[in-house]
Amino acid sequence: MDTGSLDQWLVLALLGLPLAGFGLTALFGRRMGTKAWIIAVAAIVAVWVAAMYLVDQTLFQHAYGDGGLHFRLYEWIPAGSFQVDVNFGLDALSAVMLIVVTSVGMLVHIYSVGYMAHDPGRWRFFAYLNFFMFSMLLLVLADNFLLLFVAWELVGLSSYLLIGFWYRRRSAALAAKKAFIVNRVGDLGFALGIMAIWTTVGTLNFGDVFTRLPQLLASGGIQEWQMIGICLLIFAGAVGKSAQFPLHVWLPDAMEGPTPVSALIHAATMVNAGVYLIARTNPLFAEAPEALVVVAAIGIFTAILAASIALTQTDIKRVLAYSTLSQLGYMFASLGVGAYVPAIFHLVTHGFFKGLLFLGSGSVIHSVDEEQDMNKMGALWRRIGITHVTMLIGSLAIAGIPPLAGFFSKDEILGDSFKNGFIWVWGIGVVVALLTAFYMFRLMGKTFYGPSHVDPHVEPHIHESPKWMTIPLILLAIAAAVAGLVLGLPFDGGLIHQWLDPLFSATESVLGHGGSTFQIAGIDGVLILVSTAVAAFGLFAAWRLFGFFGIGPQAARVAAVTDRFKGLYTASKNKWYFDDLNDLLFVRIGGLLAAGLWWFDVHVIDGTVNGIASLTQSSGRGLRQVQTGHVQNYALGIAAGLIVIALGYIVLVTR
Amino acid sequence: MTGNLDAYLVLSGLLFSIGTFGFLARRNAIAMLMSVELMVNAVNLAIVAFGTFVPELKGQGTVIALFVMAVAAAEATVGLAIVIAIYRNRRTPLVDEYSSMRD
Amino acid sequence: MGLPQTIPLLGWSWDDVIFVVLSGVMLGSALLVVLGRNIIRSGLFMILSFAALAGIYVLLGAPIVAAAQVLIYIGAISVLILFAIMLTQSKGGSAALTFHHQAKAAGLAAGLLALILTVTVLWTTWPEAVAPGVAVATASTVVVAQLLFSNNTMAVEVISVLLLAAVIGGVFLAKREEAPDAGEPTPDGSA
Repeated sequence: MDTGSLDQWLVLALLGLPLAGFGLTALFGRRMGTKAWIIAVAAIVAVWVAAMYLVDQTLFQHAYGDGGLHFRLYEWIPAGSFQVDVNFGLDALSAVMLIVVTSVGMLVHIYSVGYMAHDPGRWRFFAYLNFFMFSMLLLVLADNFLLLFVAWELVGLSSYLLIGFWYRRRSAALAAKKAFIVNRVGDLGFALGIMAIWTTVGTLNFGDVFTRLPQLLASGGIQEWQMIGICLLIFAGAVGKSAQFPLHVWLPDAMEGPTPVSALIHAATMVNAGVYLIARTNPLFAEAPEALVVVAAIGIFTAILAASIALTQTDIKRVLAYSTLSQLGYMFASLGVGAYVPAIFHLVTHGFFKGLLFLGSGSVIHSVDEEQDMNKMGALWRRIGITHVTMLIGSLAIAGIPPLAGFFSKDEILGDSFKNGFIWVWGIGVVVALLTAFYMFRLMGKTFYGPSHVDPHVEPHIHESPKWMTIPLILLAIAAAVAGLVLGLPFDGGLIHQWLDPLFSATESVLGHGGSTFQIAGIDGVLILVSTAVAAFGLFAAWRLFGFFGIGPQAARVAAVTDRFKGLYTASKNKWYFDDLNDLLFVRIGGLLAAGLWWFDVHVIDGTVNGIASLTQSSGRGLRQVQTGHVQNYALGIAAGLIVIALGYIVLVTR
Repeated sequence: MTGNLDAYLVLSGLLFSIGTFGFLARRNAIAMLMSVELMVNAVNLAIVAFGTFVPELKGQGTVIALFVMAVAAAEATVGLAIVIAIYRNRRTPLVDEYSSMRD
Repeated sequence: MGLPQTIPLLGWSWDDVIFVVLSGVMLGSALLVVLGRNIIRSGLFMILSFAALAGIYVLLGAPIVAAAQVLIYIGAISVLILFAIMLTQSKGGSAALTFHHQAKAAGLAAGLLALILTVTVLWTTWPEAVAPGVAVATASTVVVAQLLFSNNTMAVEVISVLLLAAVIGGVFLAKREEAPDAGEPTPDGSA
């Protein structure tokens, strides 16, 4: 390590601190009792400081130029022509990811101090959280596909450990397994994609792959279908990790984990890894526009599917989980239409407001004695004021009400879809925006404003959460409120564009997008008005139905609406039967197939083996009769054999 | 007749067959050992006859016969010792009552 | 003595006569060995058979083998066998139990074996050159000594070791087991 070695050390510190925190907490956390959080939280705060310095260097000082900081730690696998190093890269994209990961990560750690105060396994929790932070930072900083894949699996492992944190609960253990296994399906594709990359270009370093693979395609070294195949395989990994259709089923179940985990891993960071991956590999996707169309289609389909399911769920965390799916779908749709910067922008803002909403829901759940069913809440707004205000900000942000964060990023996605010629994506996206506003304010209404259905035994104990929890909520609420303004203004030229445009400009020019100037008085203004109006309409409809501040006989109205759309309602309630479909396909039919194979194994394969064994046994039993144990019988046998051989010799040879 | 190898070899074969019969048919272990001795003697006879009639052997037949005798003596010693040892355990010299090889 | 060169009526040489007689004695007594009901008599007939064989060795011009036959078989092995018979003879009724139930099969096998051996011997052309007797027999002592103690010294030594091992083994096997309190330090220490 030569010049800029301080910064390189800091990059390593980003990885080393959480890893050390994990090791120390795992070793000594149990003995530290209620203070088990100290090491972990200290490590993450230090990481945040270091990360902010690096972000400043990268994004504001441009200390490393447009290419970013790249360095090699050591040679990892020098196996003949297969050579992989442990090398790290820090460019604008990584830096933006660092902002989200370390900020939300730090706030979630602090929040967890309060949230997990009464859990005897808290040392384990903090150790896992630190381990997750290490994995996630490794994922963001890795500069080659193999290291990225390792980090990819490590975040999957942390996710598994944390979903199954309350492993004594059967549902939590099952959810952890489900998440892990569903992720493996996508990871298989990702691994195949990495192998395909290596066999075609012979290297896994991002920079080399991104220059050589398009060159190969241009020179005819590989066919177009191979390029599309590689992109789709990588996308398969992203689909698994970011829980897109059809691998979306694990994320709602992942809500079995502690709420801070849902906020950090399953809303703000890990599930964004897929978006990050597609954005990172944008030079490849630029050469395979057909693959991008697939990305857009799956993304927007997931968005509307998940939003429709979120309409009817009653578990507060599940609503947020489906909302996360839907927002991730937005991001993929954005990537698919070639709008990379808006996708990352939405990733950032979503990280803040969804993290906020999850932490807020944790606070709500905490206040009503660990009850997650919204049908047993209501009228909480006066009792838990800070939580209410922060969640309201989050909800307005996700609904896309200006000037909060979600408005800027979501609007940019919709605008770019429209302008890049994907009218269908825009159309569905607008519907999703309507649904988003509706289900979020349904959630708010049922939780905070509608009539109270809280258990009378719990009612007197409703309390605001401790400062450990409310301060992160407030900080996140501020972030959710102002992130859009800071990063997104002026339209089409805000900070986020200044940071990321150089990274994606090549791709966007290959795709033939961009270049169109932003016209607030023209098409863009119209689009903004449409989406804002739609969001406001959704909000208003929810307001009418869910009895804000005691308005109207809302229960009857809800019943009337559900009656009118009974089929749709039950389908949505049952998550469009995807779990049942999976159950039918993999558990029932797969089980039958496995039973058939089992039968084949038992009766044909084992039967053959056992048949040979019993044949040997019975023939041995028969032959045993020959073994009389009398020496002279054997001797007679010898004599008979001698006679036969001698006779044979005489007959065959002599004569 | 005496100047003919065939006569001695046939004689040897007959003696060997008698020994074989004794070994297969007698139940007494010592009788079996005696039969074995007969067979050994038959073989010895054949060896000596060959040594006499085949000039290339140049007296080697005698030497081989002496070796065979020595080995037969050793065999008889050990064999009879074994018979006595078994007899002491089983109280019978009859071989067909020794059937523990079956188990 | 003025014996005629050949037997007057048959026209056989004396050697032939002696050979026939000795062969008859040998085979007859061998048959009595394997067929006799009394095991002591079997042992005695075996001695007779060995003695007749010694005579045949002399006829063959192998007097050393004949001498060794008398010494080893008649003098040593037969006595050994007779001792063994006496050691294992229990009082009363061994006569009825002489033959194995597979005796008929054994007889058939032995007969077939004799037939095969005879046929083989007669059909085979042996590389015989010299007549028996004088030439080989006179040289035999010197030649045999030369062969035994110069050419095959190693084999003789190995045989001597084998005989020593047989003696020790025989003693060890036939020795009556001592009672455990007889004071021997280890069970196999005496061998």
